[in-house]
Amino acid sequence: MQVELKDIGKKYEGRENFTLRHIDLLIEEQSFCVILGPSGCGKSTLLRMIAGLNSITEGELIFNGKLMNKVPPKDRDIAMVFQSYALYPHMSVYDNMAFSLSLRKEPKEVIRERVLEAAEILQITEYLYNKPSDISGGQRQRVALGRAMVRKPRVFLMDEPLSNLDAKLREHMRVELVRLHKNLETTTIYVTHDQTEAMTMADMIVLMNDGKIMQQGTPEEFYHHPENLFVAGFIGSPTMNIYPGAIKDGAFHSSGGALVVEPSEKDAQALAPYEGKEVHMGIRSERILSGVEEKNTFQAEVDVIEMLGKEKLLNCKLQDGSDIVISVPGYFEYAVDEVHNFHFDLDALHFFDSETTERIGS
Amino acid sequence: MKKKKEGLYLSDRPPLSPLGKVLLVLSYVVLAIWSIVILWPLSQMVISSVNGTQTKNITMGRRFAFSLKHFEYLFNETNFLLWVRNTLFIAVATALLTLVIVSFTGFAYSRYRFKGRRMSLLAIMLIQTIPTFAGITAFYTMHSIISGFAPFFTRQLLLIFIYAGGGIASNTFILKGYIDSVSTELDDAARIDGCSNMQVYRLIIMPIARPMLSIIALWSFIGPFMDYMLAAILLTNNESLTLAPGLFTLINDTRTMNQPAFAAGGLLTAIPIIILFIALQNQLVSGLAQGSVKG
Repeated sequence: MQVELKDIGKKYEGRENFTLRHIDLLIEEQSFCVILGPSGCGKSTLLRMIAGLNSITEGELIFNGKLMNKVPPKDRDIAMVFQSYALYPHMSVYDNMAFSLSLRKEPKEVIRERVLEAAEILQITEYLYNKPSDISGGQRQRVALGRAMVRKPRVFLMDEPLSNLDAKLREHMRVELVRLHKNLETTTIYVTHDQTEAMTMADMIVLMNDGKIMQQGTPEEFYHHPENLFVAGFIGSPTMNIYPGAIKDGAFHSSGGALVVEPSEKDAQALAPYEGKEVHMGIRSERILSGVEEKNTFQAEVDVIEMLGKEKLLNCKLQDGSDIVISVPGYFEYAVDEVHNFHFDLDALHFFDSETTERIGS
Repeated sequence: MKKKKEGLYLSDRPPLSPLGKVLLVLSYVVLAIWSIVILWPLSQMVISSVNGTQTKNITMGRRFAFSLKHFEYLFNETNFLLWVRNTLFIAVATALLTLVIVSFTGFAYSRYRFKGRRMSLLAIMLIQTIPTFAGITAFYTMHSIISGFAPFFTRQLLLIFIYAGGGIASNTFILKGYIDSVSTELDDAARIDGCSNMQVYRLIIMPIARPMLSIIALWSFIGPFMDYMLAAILLTNNESLTLAPGLFTLINDTRTMNQPAFAAGGLLTAIPIIILFIALQNQLVSGLAQGSVKG
């Protein structure tokens, strides 16, 4: 099902300001859309509005061309998975999964068939007659998914469903969720604050901050073409190196003075109108190369080394004291307190207007 | 060779000091005295009720001869069975009425935001501090007005309303607190699954809050058994009395005086309450809400 949000806004009763406003979003049929953002950015509110659990103050919510603003949650043909799983503690796993169907007065055989089918896919058949309190967190997570699946909804809504699992299980469930989405071909809207989940699972990411959409697009676009400083700083681990500075004579001079970068021709064109103005320059840690080049070379002193296995993160200090994180392959040998030469991969520089924080160039 | 443990250990703490040992003995002495104070009258009551040699007035140190004649007296010569019936009727009605109303109020106060929510909660709390007895004249007036056009409104019904009304306030607080501890995500999940507001309560919240509802039911049920004052004042006819004032007629009036029968009646009064406790003990064990959220 296609989900469309037109100029949606939400103001909670008794609050002065809108929690979110002017949200325009089109979620295509069968896509896996991740709404990403720091806590308090309004992403859960948005999801609850789509679910019908919170009222919509202004704007239109449209499912496949039909206005849904006033339709109660049970008639929206949606299913939701909650952060806390929200399993009914007094019912067995089977009853939990069968609950929505039995409320709809489906025949017993149909319920049984659907529950067993979902249990089979999620591999929870052996726990069907246990109470939720008797099974582990990962299994509860599956039951919560199963409860959503048996209804065969047209939209899945998930509110940070993996945040209560341990790291290993989360990694595993990420893949399972994507696989499940592929098989079921249901539109999925997934809310999270974890950028790894967003990057690995999404067809489309919507990054929100402070009640506004900062950028929407594919994970690649987010990583390689952040549209503003917030996106650049939010997406990617380690965080992108970002330096304030100004353009002088066509080159970027960082405000500390340690970096002077002559951008590539393409960037130089885009930066031409910014001559003499303040801009931010960003570069990802893996796009900094070791060694000396004719231009754009800088020296950095290694401060702390984080060994991640396949790569090493060098937390370095520039000559003016500012920090830079550089990632190098894990087998490269570096030692703390050494001073090394590095240069930039000019194709990977990002420039942002310091005033508007918007991206300069494409 | 096993080394003998030295010193006196309480649970897993360091061994007791000499002063600690003295205090331990002292606390046992206090507990023992306390138990005697409670158990002695009770045991006297039980013994006297089956002691055939006791006459109208219970006297200590009388010879013991087992007999059920006091029970016979109770059943044949007094309105005991009527009192039991009255009390059960009032107790059951009170418990049901309290449960139904408290369910609504507790759920509403916990889950809904509405104008005057805080103020009315506060008002309920403050009104609690006024003893029910202060309203006795108002109760009389209300009863005479209502029974004027609705003769079926007996004093017993009035009593039910007074007991239930008194219980609703404090129990609303208790139940609201309990439901507050149940995650609202359960409500959301139930709503998406297709529950109406009533169904959310009936199918999801009520089963989870069952330990608390059991306690509320038990308290409201016991209330009419224990209350003497209101029943004695409002119920004037011997046949409409509840147990407490009914049994009291066996010890306060020389014409109907029979203390061993009073003891026997007291013993029998305890039985329905004990049965209820045993029946509900599984429900009273809380912790049902565990496992609904997180792990």
